[in-house]
Amino acid sequence: MKQTLKNSFPRKKLVLVISSMILICLLQISLNGYAASNEPGTANGLFWLWRFLGRLHPVAVHFPVALLLFAAILEMFTFKNFNSNLRPGIKIILAAGAIAALLSTIMGLLLSKEGGYEKELANLHQWTGIATAAIGSIAFILLHYILKQDKKNLISFYRSLLFISAIGVAAAGHFGASLTHGKDYISATLPWSKDYDASTKGNFDISTFKNDTAKLTKQQAIELNVQVRAILAHNCYKCHGPEKIKGDLRLDRRDMIFKGGENGAVVIPGNPTGSDLFRRISLPSSHKDAMPSKGKKLSDGDIAIIQFWIQKGAPWPDSSEKSIFRLAPLAPRDPALPVATDKLSNPIDLWTNQYFVKNKINWPAVIDDKTFLRRVSLDLIGLLPSPEELEKFTADKRTNKRAILIRQLLNRQDDYSSHWLSIWNDALRNDYTGTGYITGGRFNITDWLYKSLRSNKHYDQFVKELINPTDASKGFIEGIKWRGVVNASQRTEMQAAQNVSQIFLGLNLKCTSCHNSFISDWKLTDAYAFANIFSDTSLEINRCDKPTGKFTGARMLWKELGAIDSSAKRNVKLAQLATNMVQPNNGRFYRTIVNRIWAQLMGRGLIEPVDVMDNEPWSQDLLDWTASNFQKNNSDIKELIYLLTTSNTYQLPSVGLKDASKIVSQQFQFNGMLRKRMSAEQFSDVASTIIAPIFVDSMLMYRPEYTKGPLRPIWSRASLVANNPFLISLGRPTRETVSTSRESQSNLLQALELTNGDRFNAMIKKGAIAWKKQYVSSDKIIKEIYSRALGREAQPSEYTIAKKILGTEPSTDAIEDLFWIILLLPEFQIIY
Amino acid sequence: MNHHWNRREFLKGSSTAAIAALAAGAPLAGFLASCNTSKIKATADTVILLWMGGGMAHTDTFDPKKYTPFTKGMMANDVLSTFKSVPTILDDVYFSEGLESIGKVMDKGTVIRSYVAGDMGHILHSRHQYHWHTCYKPPQSVAAPHIGSWISNQLGPVNSVIPAFIDIGQRFSLGEGEELKAFHTAGFLGNEFGPFLIPDPSAGLESVKPPVGMNINRFEKRNQLYNELMSKSPIGEMGSDYQKESMRRSMEQAYILLKSPEAAAFDLTKEPKESYDIYNTGKFGLGCLMARRLTEKGARFISVTTEYEPFKNWDTHDNGHTRLVDMKKQIDGPIAQLIKDLDRSGHLDRTLVILASEFSRDMMVEGRPELKVQEQVNQPDIIQELKNYGMHRHFTDGCSMLMFGGGIKKGNVYGKTADERPCKTVDKPIRIEQIHQTIYHALGIPQDTHYVIEKRPFYTTPDGLGKAEMDLFS
Repeated sequence: MKQTLKNSFPRKKLVLVISSMILICLLQISLNGYAASNEPGTANGLFWLWRFLGRLHPVAVHFPVALLLFAAILEMFTFKNFNSNLRPGIKIILAAGAIAALLSTIMGLLLSKEGGYEKELANLHQWTGIATAAIGSIAFILLHYILKQDKKNLISFYRSLLFISAIGVAAAGHFGASLTHGKDYISATLPWSKDYDASTKGNFDISTFKNDTAKLTKQQAIELNVQVRAILAHNCYKCHGPEKIKGDLRLDRRDMIFKGGENGAVVIPGNPTGSDLFRRISLPSSHKDAMPSKGKKLSDGDIAIIQFWIQKGAPWPDSSEKSIFRLAPLAPRDPALPVATDKLSNPIDLWTNQYFVKNKINWPAVIDDKTFLRRVSLDLIGLLPSPEELEKFTADKRTNKRAILIRQLLNRQDDYSSHWLSIWNDALRNDYTGTGYITGGRFNITDWLYKSLRSNKHYDQFVKELINPTDASKGFIEGIKWRGVVNASQRTEMQAAQNVSQIFLGLNLKCTSCHNSFISDWKLTDAYAFANIFSDTSLEINRCDKPTGKFTGARMLWKELGAIDSSAKRNVKLAQLATNMVQPNNGRFYRTIVNRIWAQLMGRGLIEPVDVMDNEPWSQDLLDWTASNFQKNNSDIKELIYLLTTSNTYQLPSVGLKDASKIVSQQFQFNGMLRKRMSAEQFSDVASTIIAPIFVDSMLMYRPEYTKGPLRPIWSRASLVANNPFLISLGRPTRETVSTSRESQSNLLQALELTNGDRFNAMIKKGAIAWKKQYVSSDKIIKEIYSRALGREAQPSEYTIAKKILGTEPSTDAIEDLFWIILLLPEFQIIY
Repeated sequence: MNHHWNRREFLKGSSTAAIAALAAGAPLAGFLASCNTSKIKATADTVILLWMGGGMAHTDTFDPKKYTPFTKGMMANDVLSTFKSVPTILDDVYFSEGLESIGKVMDKGTVIRSYVAGDMGHILHSRHQYHWHTCYKPPQSVAAPHIGSWISNQLGPVNSVIPAFIDIGQRFSLGEGEELKAFHTAGFLGNEFGPFLIPDPSAGLESVKPPVGMNINRFEKRNQLYNELMSKSPIGEMGSDYQKESMRRSMEQAYILLKSPEAAAFDLTKEPKESYDIYNTGKFGLGCLMARRLTEKGARFISVTTEYEPFKNWDTHDNGHTRLVDMKKQIDGPIAQLIKDLDRSGHLDRTLVILASEFSRDMMVEGRPELKVQEQVNQPDIIQELKNYGMHRHFTDGCSMLMFGGGIKKGNVYGKTADERPCKTVDKPIRIEQIHQTIYHALGIPQDTHYVIEKRPFYTTPDGLGKAEMDLFS
């Protein structure tokens, strides 16, 4: 075989390939020398054409990738018959692929001189690329030779080379993509990837220490230890923590972990392979000794960190007080406002500007009058502007007309209150019907809430009255009492502790009201101490619904927020809690509300989720300043809304997301308001005003003053009626639990309700009859519905379609169909 | 336009929507893909739950004890059953009089006589029903999903145009309606997986046909023009938002369902008269008929209830004996026919039919013997009137269930209650976690299926505990 090869190989062409490869290598070396003679990292000295060609590399590489792979695929179809009619095609494709590979390689070498790539990976990419180009070319020459000389004995050699080059081009492509997009660009999207849930990611980057034989600094040891504890907390504490001590082993404390379990030591410092802990987490999950025995195997990265930690002597510094969980600072912070520019004066904009500069984002132009009016009306009062309002507003020439409009909207007391009532009803789980009322175990607070919103009760006072309530406002802390025995973590005092901390502090105590939290540093006793404030007597601590016989006093969650007199009566404790909660020093309290209002208006909070205030905001300064400013400004919610909506930041063009999960991403970048979908109430109210009432006066469950007179409107705001299948399908929650955001996705059940639901269709029918009488002609109806629902005229193409529906003499059926279509357009339902 | 929705597409679509929905909502946040660590081979594709809401007395239905006929002045404590026992097709297995037809199909299923209901103190039916349907005791700090929603979420529909979770026969305008709503929900899984409600099966078709007064031509035209206008709308140029995308998709699904031939499954008038008549014992019977028709067209989870209304139907606080005569008439024929029909058409092999109630009843014991709750029914020790003759107190320690098909043992009796008062479970007690896991197991849903909600794992059954009862499977 060797002999044959030697004698029969096409020398001329081989020489050609080899010499071109040598040329490439020379080019590589000379370029190296060139770059080295310049400042490191700069390629500016490189001739422009070379730089240009270099930058074409990422584009050009797609040719060899596609061509070589395609050639290899086609080759597979020729296994039975080498001289298949595919052969000439394969030859051309392979030739093109080989040439493209050579050219790409040269371009790649040019590009590499610009620098900026991770060296190890770049080297790997480079040499796979060069090898692929070479092998591909040889494969082509072989093929040419085989065909010309009919050397059948070389076929399998040729095929091997072709397939190697296909694999090589794929590998080179992968390395290249990793260079461009990062190593885990593709794999990070997979649910089983470690990066998919970044919660256990810490500050400690093991790769920087890999080859470092030196001792860790104290700081490094702490960081590493924190990282290890985070891994243990998320994967092991459930069975080897304070609650369950399986195998007599606890991993949550220094003394316990080194003591080991029933089988002896599990960590031998300096000896990972001898440590049972490392051995068992490394086993395949099918192995009987594998840990965790329930749940997922640890990621390779986590295992590597544990290994490294043990290798480094398993440091667990005594002074290691640092929590593994992020806890946001409690105190208020009032950063100095950036200096105003000639273009920007609203403080919100100054902070946004700072953020934009830092993130290299350009200010887009603010939205036009029409879009602004629609957006701000829906956001502030939950209604659409009428065509007359729109006309008046666009015609208004005053430069401050937007600010004037915002004031006017905020002053429409009942419209404003009815809109924000829904948002607060969700958060305070206040409803007219629901569980608990049947046995007197629940109290409605609508009258208090509506009037508080209407009078713009300052937020500190608002919360004080909810926490230390009168009969009218006691519903929130009294919670829902089901008849019968309930789980200890759901007694009404604990419900109050959970809901007060979630709604007013963005803190989740739900875990902690049953056992010490695995996901924060809060302890069971903290939850009980907080719940005791809402109780006449001290509650017996239950762990996972089992009485422990232990008791604790009444305490704030943060001792900095002041004391509670444990021995005092409930009403005294509640008064103390109310005062402590709203004190200016409670920065978290003010940040929480500012973030909620921000989220309402901007479609996403500065912090997300809005109930997890320990997460990082996308601009800490903006949040801190706004919260401090809000507190100093008498905690005036309307003023806060005014400040936010008069900003250019609010008036930026809206941004749509392809994927709703991006909303809560911690890598979120702010570019403008995120598009929202109308809530159930907004949709009903708007449809009621432009077509016909969905809810009428007789359905009111609460009657504000304006609904009592003879001039009362015939239609009712959806926030004032009992929940019903129509509103439920559009996302109004049942309010069994507090909730702070609505589902904005559509689903089949909702679509069915809107397609053939009685309530919706009855409304449309009623409207069609009235419109037919009032407007008579198709043209007028089309004009009116477009202007009222969409705030614009129909484009000619739309007009044609609408006319197809209505005909010249519109029937009520036809008008119904047009209404239905318009109301279901995303353009109508989305707040943009 | 020609639509070809296959199951995979629908599943894919619905799960991305769910993920997105979950991620978007703060109460739903902290979501992680649910864990499916182990593969189980499913023995069922469809579940039909026949719900005897209100508390069905085991000693007067599927677990009869010594019969004591009514006489004036009789001792209440002597009465264990108010009906005669009648034989079933199984040797030495007896049911209570009035359940003869079901007795005759017991060669196709299992009677469970040892279900032990949850302990929740003071009896509130809806609370125990919440527990039965969600496996969690209310209240909960996150909204717990109905078992039908879990199944819908995990498996999607069998036939893409038939909603995955259909609930037949319950109205929510009655007493405790709000409490019933609290568990007739997909909870944190999101509305997408909520129940498709058909309160009245004879009007079931209304829910799945174009609006009243709209013929199919107009319906099609409307939809076509909707799509045309949507494509012309300038907001269409703003790229594809997830909201817009989900609206478009769901409207299309609704449209397809409403004009699909499968919608006829909801139309009971299409059923041949002789068959219709057997089922037509009232709302429940027709519900069984609809369940059968939907199963044949590809349904995932269907609940049919005798309907819970305080002091009505199975909620016998008085006249227990008399009222059970009627209740049995309602259920006996339709259930037997449902089993026979499914068996004949071959669907029973892949359909798990379950009959259950939130708890049982007894004449004397309230709650359970060692853990008595406050007495809620006044029962005289000496019975003078017929109205006091019956099982009127709420009993949780021994309840009967039936299971047919979907891999369940045939001709089997599982568990046992005592033959003397208290007629409590004495062998193989089985609880709600095991029942749920058994259902999930039959469907191939792993035991540790869960979501992470607010950073806490929320399992199909609390803490992922409870094991499928393998003894129930053949």
